[in-house]
Amino acid sequence: MYATTYHRPKTIAEAVALYEGSEDASYLSGGHTLIPALKNRLAAPQHLIDVRAIPELSGIAVTADRVVIGAATRHAAVAACEDVKAAIPALCGLAGSIGDVQVRHMGTIGGSTANNDPAADYPSAVLSLDAVVHTDRRVLAADDFFQGLYTTALAPGEILVRIEFRIPEIAGYAKFRNPASRYSMAAAFVSRHRDGKVRVAITGAGNGGVFRWSEAEERLADDLTPAALDGLALDPSLMMGDMHAPADYRAHLVAVMSRRAVENLGRTYIL
Amino acid sequence: MSSLQNTASAGEVVHPLKQPKPAELSPEMKLVQEALFRHVGKPLPRKEDGRLITGKGRFSDDFSLPGQTYAAIVRSPYPHARINGIDKTEALESPGVLLVLTGEDILADNILPIPHNPVPSTNFDMKLRAKDGSHAFTGPHYLLPADKARHVGEAVAIVVAETAAQAADGAEKVMVDWEELPFVTDTAKAAEPGAPAVWDEVPGNVFIDTTFGDVEGTNAAFAAADHVVKAEFHIHRVTGVTMEPRASLGSYDPETKRYTLYAGSGGAVRQKNELSKVLGIEPKDLRVLSFDVGGNFGTRNRVYVEFGLVLWASRKLGRPVKFTATRSESFLTDYQGRDLVTKVELAIRKDGRFLAMRADNLSNVGGRAVSLSPLSKGSGLITGSYDIPYATLRARAVFSNTMCTQAYRSSGRPEVTFAIERMCELAADQLGFDKLELRRMNLVPPSAMPYVNAVGSVYDSGEYEKNMDRALELAEWSTFEARKAEAATRGKLLGRGFANYVESSIGTPKERAEIEIKDDGTVEVVIGTQPSGQGHETSFAQVVADMLQVPVEKVWIVIGDTDIVSVGGGSHSGRSMRHAGTVMAMASADLLAEGRRRSAELLGTTPGEIDFEGGVFRQRNTNHAVDIFELGRRTRASHGTLRVVRDNEMHTPVFPNGAAICEVEVDRETGHVQIVRYTSIDDVGRCINPLIVHGQTHGGIAQGVGQAMWELCAIDAESGQPLAGSLMDYGMPRSDTMPSFTCEIAEVFSPTNPLGIKAGGEGGTTPALATVVNAVVDALSEFGVTDIQMPVTPATVWRAMNTGRNAS
Repeated sequence: MYATTYHRPKTIAEAVALYEGSEDASYLSGGHTLIPALKNRLAAPQHLIDVRAIPELSGIAVTADRVVIGAATRHAAVAACEDVKAAIPALCGLAGSIGDVQVRHMGTIGGSTANNDPAADYPSAVLSLDAVVHTDRRVLAADDFFQGLYTTALAPGEILVRIEFRIPEIAGYAKFRNPASRYSMAAAFVSRHRDGKVRVAITGAGNGGVFRWSEAEERLADDLTPAALDGLALDPSLMMGDMHAPADYRAHLVAVMSRRAVENLGRTYIL
Repeated sequence: MSSLQNTASAGEVVHPLKQPKPAELSPEMKLVQEALFRHVGKPLPRKEDGRLITGKGRFSDDFSLPGQTYAAIVRSPYPHARINGIDKTEALESPGVLLVLTGEDILADNILPIPHNPVPSTNFDMKLRAKDGSHAFTGPHYLLPADKARHVGEAVAIVVAETAAQAADGAEKVMVDWEELPFVTDTAKAAEPGAPAVWDEVPGNVFIDTTFGDVEGTNAAFAAADHVVKAEFHIHRVTGVTMEPRASLGSYDPETKRYTLYAGSGGAVRQKNELSKVLGIEPKDLRVLSFDVGGNFGTRNRVYVEFGLVLWASRKLGRPVKFTATRSESFLTDYQGRDLVTKVELAIRKDGRFLAMRADNLSNVGGRAVSLSPLSKGSGLITGSYDIPYATLRARAVFSNTMCTQAYRSSGRPEVTFAIERMCELAADQLGFDKLELRRMNLVPPSAMPYVNAVGSVYDSGEYEKNMDRALELAEWSTFEARKAEAATRGKLLGRGFANYVESSIGTPKERAEIEIKDDGTVEVVIGTQPSGQGHETSFAQVVADMLQVPVEKVWIVIGDTDIVSVGGGSHSGRSMRHAGTVMAMASADLLAEGRRRSAELLGTTPGEIDFEGGVFRQRNTNHAVDIFELGRRTRASHGTLRVVRDNEMHTPVFPNGAAICEVEVDRETGHVQIVRYTSIDDVGRCINPLIVHGQTHGGIAQGVGQAMWELCAIDAESGQPLAGSLMDYGMPRSDTMPSFTCEIAEVFSPTNPLGIKAGGEGGTTPALATVVNAVVDALSEFGVTDIQMPVTPATVWRAMNTGRNAS
């Protein structure tokens, strides 16, 4: 790790001012991507601005049709929230499946979403649940938010404040874990919304990061059963490939996990 | 006549089990035997756990010294590259940097290579030689090479600074003028003609090439056989992943001219002896301290370059120097394990009897030979638990541009067990035999013990078929079909795998025990083994407490400081309890003999009139008595401290054995494998503490299963770069990927040592690779799968199913 200066602002304005006032700063939330990168000297911001002490970034609120979660909320808090569990059980299950106990008590929903790691869990929920992302300066639809591997619509210095999920009629999450890291190697978040639309978001597999599988959505809109996906395949050239899962295997896993998400609506399925 | 080429040394040395019975036991040894086992055999909770789980352990990095500095290592980014020069200028100008040393400085200071002495040398080790029969060139291991780097991660410079961060900054500024060279990392390719030479001295990379066994007899048996089954296996490379990364703190005192090293290892005495040679000093001038060690598995048995570097740098600088490896450095440069390619042929009579075996074993030692234990250990056991009259083994070792390999939990035995147990499956499949019956008819029977196998190893004792039967019963083998049918309803393929195993424990032959009766009413035992989680503080105390008939709480084990522990072979090869237990028994007997003499004098009688019971010396048929602690106090002034030192040397190997069964569920769609049952029966000889032995077995199983299922030191063929440099990519066993084990201990006492001990640390691992793969292959049998490469990751299993689907 290179030397860096740590800041812990109490307001959004203070955080943004710190960012704007420095040439080389990075926001820090749970730190589960950034801290290992720093320790390995792969990243070297001169200023670390920890956003977790900002009150607006904390808290969970559930209304009749929305679940609103502050960006600095820990995975463990989401996993344990009874109100969220009643509204979107698959979202609690997803949060509870991230990493291990220690990770879930440090990692945050905003950090995971803003980082847009292609193997992260939350981006699939944000996309499938047609969430609205609130930042310190604007509101973004999920479909506009994710823009490729580790890339989002967030401008430099923009702070993700909270995420507003639409409560679906029903949703399911199925994840096949990398045997080493236990990050998602192929995972599907399937939601049927109250307007009848089905949204299928895939994470861990696509070579452009999280994406919606529109062919699967079309079939499931007519018939929300695993059988509706029979014979549907993804192009392996759109998938990531590595020592754990070549692209053709990932394409296959995406199809299997999509079926299993449909089999497990209202729940989470982890393999 | 058979041409017995370079046979195992049993030809030259008469094996003790083949010699006439030893002389009668001394009265003290008899007493020890009679008194034995009051605590032994009991599952006493571990004395050390309280300390360890409350953060009071003393691991290497926990030590700090006044004025301490920090080292960072500059490592090779290339698998093979010449060092045309190293420019230290910028690094030396970097803030806080105090010292930069390179391979040129090593040569200038006459710092010598680490004397790894890689060829195992006890009388009963297989004798490995170069092709022409000469002693092999094993590749000098300088702390820093001056000529070239031979693997990614090889240390080429050390930077010492005031802080660890400054040292790391400085290391980035050391400019190495690299000239990339052609490289080879793959085991089989390294031995092929035309492969890039890792050492100019060994153009073909193969530096060991020895044939064992009766070549003509084997050939004749093959010629007469009804069937020959052939296969080739690669038991791939893994690494230890110790919880505590290796660390060292070196200090030099210019006044006494003595060095001190804090470094966790498998045995401080070895570190002292070898590092003193590196530094060109007398062993007495180096003190090595190794207290709590966070995992070893063989990984820490040998000397690491950083241990020598911190000592040397400390002398140059006049201040203590600390080095602690990062997890990344551990993945790159901890000594690694396995990596054997084996080609096996089995000659079989039409009724199923095994007639002969040929094996061609090629061990990848990496950039230089640190240890040939894996090749040697495996060589003696190629026939496994089976009575195969003839066998020939060609044992070769090859250099490659990879990190060095070393003995890794059950060195060499899981590899050959994998080969013979997979061969049993393949032979049964190909020739239509029942897998279990084929094994059963070929097992070495108890009546043949001690049994000399076809390459000369003498199996001391064991009841192999009984183990097999018990394992099958515990695993509910007979009701498998019902479970399989149930699993099928959930879309799962249930498979079962069986493996017998026999392994050998040899280990460094010498051990010393010192036992002292202290005035405070405790017993202090000094011993040269080094636990890294095995619970010696408990099980050794149990042994001594039994022998001296004192409460186990009174006995304290002292380890890990070479100023106190003068001789000791360390902990490896399942030697600790056997060697330490035996020498502690002998020392206890000496102590009791001395106690008998002293108490007779004190009580005014002769030693022959003294009985010893319940920790008390008593004049027979009187109430004149003195307890052992009181005796120590009352005779100190006249006779000195009641204390004995006993040395012992034992060369005779023991052969732990057993059987293991695993059941796996394979997800039909994804290839995901879940182990649902795991059963083992392990003959460890005399079991001192079943709680600790079961713990060893459980850990051993996890380690073997880990290799079979997930672990792999993958290297990119194009670039030679290791791909699994962190826990993100190196898969490890986890609590939720393991079932609850069903383990039973079988105790067939070994006739080779007074306590009847074999070993208990490695039996969990030895059959696990074969057991898991046999189970997975069984689960996939409907797809026509007959073999599969480890690790059996989901992608590999899915590919195998697909290949089968497409073929059918």
